[in-house]
Amino acid sequence: MIRTDRLAAASRWKDKSLSEKAVTALGLMGLALALPPFPGALAVLVAASLLAWRSGVGPADWLALLAPPAAFIATGTVALAVEIDAAGLHLAADGGRAGLAVALRALAAVAALLLLAATTPTPALIGGLRRLGLAPELAEVALAIYRFIFILQDTAQTMHAVQAARLGTVGWRRRIRSAGLLAASLLPRALDRAHRQEIGLAARGFDGSLRTLSAHRPVSVWGLARAAILLVSIAGLGLAW
Amino acid sequence: MHIMEGFLPAGHALAWTAISAPFVVTGAVRLKRILVERPELRLTFGAAGAFAFVLSALKLPSVTGSCSHPTGTGLGALAVGPAATTIIGTVVLLFQALLLAHGGLTTLGANVFSMAVAGPWIAWGVWKAAGKVGLGPSVAVFLAAMLGDLGTYVVTSAQLALAFPDAASGFAGAFAKFAGIFAVTQIPLAVAEGLLTVVVMNALNQRALVAEVRA
Repeated sequence: MIRTDRLAAASRWKDKSLSEKAVTALGLMGLALALPPFPGALAVLVAASLLAWRSGVGPADWLALLAPPAAFIATGTVALAVEIDAAGLHLAADGGRAGLAVALRALAAVAALLLLAATTPTPALIGGLRRLGLAPELAEVALAIYRFIFILQDTAQTMHAVQAARLGTVGWRRRIRSAGLLAASLLPRALDRAHRQEIGLAARGFDGSLRTLSAHRPVSVWGLARAAILLVSIAGLGLAW
Repeated sequence: MHIMEGFLPAGHALAWTAISAPFVVTGAVRLKRILVERPELRLTFGAAGAFAFVLSALKLPSVTGSCSHPTGTGLGALAVGPAATTIIGTVVLLFQALLLAHGGLTTLGANVFSMAVAGPWIAWGVWKAAGKVGLGPSVAVFLAAMLGDLGTYVVTSAQLALAFPDAASGFAGAFAKFAGIFAVTQIPLAVAEGLLTVVVMNALNQRALVAEVRA
């Protein structure tokens, strides 16, 4: 299972209104981009981490979520910390401060994104996009993709384990061949599964829409006010520093 | 090669979103029309999108000791066409951002342009051109997937260089820096993805599945 999805399903904030969570997380993301990185982005990073902890995401899980994007951000930051001129490649004149500022901003924005992802199951987010005007057909395709991801991922993991047990991952050539054969075997299985589900739906009188029940989660005015207070406080701190 | 959440300045993030929007809207309108005529295809598109997501999580051997993952742009463009790849790719990039924090919401426009627009169209163009000059199918597929992947990497490097021009050498210097750093993994990966796509397309052709997918 994907870590963010597991955490979202078990989150204390799972039943909170999507509007409250979206205002908080997207507001923090906007502040990360708009405010000076220090202290603005740093405050966003701390706030997102504390809110994630409050929502039930443990420190180990939070660090595990942050680590892969942090590694990608670090790679990009290396390029910002150096300059190229007639003398060749050397450390930037500002000593890499601009690169660190971008890295801090990006890490804060990632933390805000993860706060939303680790507290809101993906179908609820798609439901929110649907209420904002996403065409029902596209929302249903997105939901179908989401549901197939876990089935195909399990199948791919099993196939990979079988290939590894038969030494299919030993050596560069075998790894390419195994990955290619895995992909080539997975696609027909995926299409076959979709085809069988289409037949099943047709047998149940499928009329073109895949309706599902969703729990009604009323927006709390107090919750929105708390989010607004948090965002205004961080904005004030970032601008006043 | 995803640009991470928050890495681009707000103006650049908005500009790339505006540039990608017409491609995504055109693809979405086309997809909607298809689904109104054939509603049962929702699940086929769902399976194809999930396949693209899982494919992007496949580990490929890259430079010594490291692994990376295929972009799937070449395979998508050759199997379902570049326009359909744009819309499926957009949804997959959204899920990668939400489920894996790989990419982001503010950088979705930039990532869509490099991986769901430029990459597939480059792969498609190379595949057509290779067919016209009489190259064999396997060579054409290899070149299409490899150059589609390389095109994605070049476009991403250009996007980053536009956002962060070098203080001394401007856009050109910044492009050289980003392209140089990412070349370590991206060039071997592009070759690996080309080979992988040949294996996949050969296996799919043996099962006559490419024709079924395109239909």
